Amino acid sequence: MSYCVNCGVELDPDARRCPLCHTPVVNPACPVDESIPPNFPEQRREVEPVNRREAAVLLSALYGVVGACCVLLNLLFWRDGMPWSMIVAGACAMLWVWTVLPLLLRSAHSILLLGLDLLAVAGLLWLIAAAVDGLNWLGRLALPIWWGCSVVLLFLWYILPRRSILSRCMLVLGSCVALMLWLEGCIDLFLGGYQPRWSLVVAVVGVALMLPLLIIRYRPDLRREVRRRFHF
Amino acid sequence: MGRRGNHDKGWFQLDNAAMMYSAIQSGTYSAVYRFSAVMAREVDPQALQRAIDRTMPRFPGFHVKIRKGVFWYYFEPDDAPGPFLQPDIQNPCQPVYFQNKDQLIRFFYYNHRISMEVFHALADGAGALVLFKTLLAVYLRELGEEIPNQEGILDVDQAPDPQEWEDAYARYTRRRVRLGRSEGKAYPCTGTPEPFYTLNVTMGFVSVQALRQVAKGHGASITEYLAAVLIQSILARQRREGRRRELPVALAIPINLRPYFPSPTLRNFILTVRPAIDPELGDYTLEEIIAQVHHHMRLHITRQEMQGVITRNVFFQRFLPLQLIPVPVKNFVVDTAYRLTGNRPYSTTYTNPGAFRVPREMEPHIRHMEVVLGQSYTPRVNCASISYGDTMEITFAGTVKETDVERDFFRTLVKDGLHVKVTSNRRE
Repeated sequence: MSYCVNCGVELDPDARRCPLCHTPVVNPACPVDESIPPNFPEQRREVEPVNRREAAVLLSALYGVVGACCVLLNLLFWRDGMPWSMIVAGACAMLWVWTVLPLLLRSAHSILLLGLDLLAVAGLLWLIAAAVDGLNWLGRLALPIWWGCSVVLLFLWYILPRRSILSRCMLVLGSCVALMLWLEGCIDLFLGGYQPRWSLVVAVVGVALMLPLLIIRYRPDLRREVRRRFHF
Repeated sequence: MGRRGNHDKGWFQLDNAAMMYSAIQSGTYSAVYRFSAVMAREVDPQALQRAIDRTMPRFPGFHVKIRKGVFWYYFEPDDAPGPFLQPDIQNPCQPVYFQNKDQLIRFFYYNHRISMEVFHALADGAGALVLFKTLLAVYLRELGEEIPNQEGILDVDQAPDPQEWEDAYARYTRRRVRLGRSEGKAYPCTGTPEPFYTLNVTMGFVSVQALRQVAKGHGASITEYLAAVLIQSILARQRREGRRRELPVALAIPINLRPYFPSPTLRNFILTVRPAIDPELGDYTLEEIIAQVHHHMRLHITRQEMQGVITRNVFFQRFLPLQLIPVPVKNFVVDTAYRLTGNRPYSTTYTNPGAFRVPREMEPHIRHMEVVLGQSYTPRVNCASISYGDTMEITFAGTVKETDVERDFFRTLVKDGLHVKVTSNRRE
């Protein structure tokens, strides 16, 4: 029999490594015996997961019925004026992407699903613009704002997990500042010329809040001092 | 039986614990546990299947389907043939999905090992062990051995006793005192999650005599000693993480209520106690942790206190406005509440169903017993132990890659002079 030199526990005769510390078994007096059957079976089995297709089909039918009814009503009774049913059908399609796709793409990475959700929002914006003849504001205002929001959301979604609380606060604050600057830039450019005002106030406040966090985050001495002074 | 009439109609209510386990059961949480017996001889699958077929009619409460009503889940006798014996798998305690008409009880065999997996809504460990012990006796009889119906083995030729399916929580609830419980967050003890459908199992085997001597040397019982060593291992892990503010390390230790509230029930009849150590108060030696665990358990495992908790739990179950909430909403609420209050106050679970005693005639046929708990919501290890003869088997099971908790645990036992043999299903 072999023992782990680190843990001091007896190991299985067929163990190549200690299961606790992964130290390889090297015992010339008692080599690893691979002829004996392993203590646990090799075969894995996965219980068939819950069938989410039923829920997906139900939701798809719900959205489909709402969208189709609106289109029919629009075609039959209110033919004149704006094709409002397009907006309802587009909203149903967006909700479909938001709720049904996660059911169907269970193994997909959450960032991919978020990207698809954001694309669905862009699609709905385009539909609304097309319905109200507003491709002008779509290209110059709505899509740039959507783009800025999407970049910030995807960035935060990717970067926030497994960060310390201080880093998270800094990243959220920094992202908010960047988004506000971008937002005012888009609005100003749409209205005429770029004249930053309120976003600069937000930026100054945000940076003023970020700086102490940044210093505390990267200066352990200061962190200890702050903790001592504030008794927490 | 809480409502015996219901059983006569062919269905019966879930007990208080079963309601919670049914609501929180999901693909990421497995309220399934496993008992295994490693036999002296290789398992004969045909004889074992015959034994299952003979034993299950005596235990109608285990051969049921779970059905979704409007307001509650309920059990219905399963008329389908089975349960059928299956070759064992590497990743035990897979979740149960009600939609797939999955069996709530499963039987496996592998070389010398006979395993039984039970969905926790059916029964607690003590109840399931009665079935398992009876099954092993019937199996050995199928192989030609003479096994008497002693040491808790039930006679499979007798009719099932309705008392064995009573809802003991309902029986021991009182009207007035309802103990509230608001426990703070404990160190979550999570690690890197394994890919889906993985359960890493590491087992350690220790001599019961030697373990009892060591525990006695520390002035504690075996359960208290092992719980304290587990707490110490988790404290050390938290310290290595270098957290700015360390959280208390708390265990959920299920307590079998039958010794305190006599009941022949085989269904759930457990409550948990929560020994905890707060490292913010200072560093604790193993002796001090053992003392804390010992006194906590002696202080809180009392008839009166446990009856208060039972009353509180059953009150929620019987509160009419809560009863009238449809089951999907109720599931969502219970699931969320469990994530917030059921899971958060505990670092991990440690359960010790105690000694597995069998008649003298059975002893030469069983080498040792094993117990495995299913996966938690979060990637962390659960600990369970069971003793048979002079072998105490301690299992760490979870969906976490790291092995540091069990490593420190077994190293502490080795340092205390115990001989530990370790085996695992982890792939190298």
